[in-house]
Amino acid sequence: MSAPWFKLGLFGDEASLLVAFLIGIGFGFALEHAGFGSARKLTGQFYFTDMTVFKVMFTAIVTAGLGVFFLGWMGLLDLSLIYMAPTFLAPQIVGGLLLGVGFVVGGYCPGTSVVAMATGRIDGLAVVLGLFAGMFAFGEAFPAIEGFYHSTALGPKTLPQVLDLPYGVVLFAVVLIALGGFAGATWVEQRMAARDRAPGEAVEEAS
Amino acid sequence: MNRFLPKSLEGKLALAALCLGFLALFGDPYRGETVKLPTRDLAWSSQQADRIGATELADRLLSGRTDTRMLDLRSAAAYAEYHIPGAENAPLAELGTGIGEYPLYRNETVVLYGDDAVATAQAWLLLQARGFRGSVLLDGGLDAWKNQVLFPALPEGTAPQTVARAKAVAERFGGQARLGGAAVGDAAIAMPKVEAPAAVAPAARKPKRKEGC
Repeated sequence: MSAPWFKLGLFGDEASLLVAFLIGIGFGFALEHAGFGSARKLTGQFYFTDMTVFKVMFTAIVTAGLGVFFLGWMGLLDLSLIYMAPTFLAPQIVGGLLLGVGFVVGGYCPGTSVVAMATGRIDGLAVVLGLFAGMFAFGEAFPAIEGFYHSTALGPKTLPQVLDLPYGVVLFAVVLIALGGFAGATWVEQRMAARDRAPGEAVEEAS
Repeated sequence: MNRFLPKSLEGKLALAALCLGFLALFGDPYRGETVKLPTRDLAWSSQQADRIGATELADRLLSGRTDTRMLDLRSAAAYAEYHIPGAENAPLAELGTGIGEYPLYRNETVVLYGDDAVATAQAWLLLQARGFRGSVLLDGGLDAWKNQVLFPALPEGTAPQTVARAKAVAERFGGQARLGGAAVGDAAIAMPKVEAPAAVAPAARKPKRKEGC
């Protein structure tokens, strides 16, 4: 049986909602289990004291990348049917910066804010409310920014296409970058911990 | 041996990812062969460069040219009933996977025809993608062959030379020119026996070991 199952018609729209619900529960559980329900852990990323976000994200990238590659290679997954978000370069850079600012200020990204809210955290609830307020403001302002929203459209792009390299070479490079990143992140964490412990310097409050 | 294995779980996972990533260097996750299509050539084909007319094909066959191959993309049954003399039966599904089964050469004109215009165009694209730049579609398919070569309708007042030529060509392929009549659009007239002019079939050739220059 080849995947993606929904697009190949193994189940219909109603069943797909159930599948999405189950995947969402699993996703939320994984985020909470990784400690991503805590704003302190998440924002530690931006102060280089806790690189868990970086490690989890790169682990996800490497796992998904290898999984998709080998499933496609084995004929279990049709890569051409996987949805790829199209690239709108300038608006996506601006959107990414906005999301980053919101992440630092609020302490959560959209997914983790819902996880935090589900575990009863007030700050999580505040971020979710802010998220909806932002969506509303965006919707109201959309006619004014529509031109920019659709600008610099590049279509669905993959790294192998952009770099004109074989898929496997790019994947291997990503794996190497991720492994190097893990080592670097661990090193940075140890450096920051050592600095925090160093005599004569202000010791941060234990979180 | 165990000395070289990382002790921590993270280390083992990292090693596994590294090995899989290295293996990925030699793999291709896209199913089937990937090919590059010359988009400029495809754009050219909109100017009819990808087609051959039925009468032109008949002229080619009658002049005894051996660089013209014909692939009949219809089913084996339809092929057995009638096919253009010299054509080989090559259903589309077989062309997709086993193009190597058909000893086509890149310097040949490969004429494709069938009863389904879309399927025929797919076969043409398939051959173009595989580098058979000389592949062309029979313009109008088998119907055009029937109406223009086998049973051409010649209106009153056609030049005698043209009439004589059309008659000769039609008879050569087992058909009959129709003077002053309408084109044969239906199956009222039986198609000629396949064997009619057997002489134009290209002789069986040994597959070449290597193609191109």
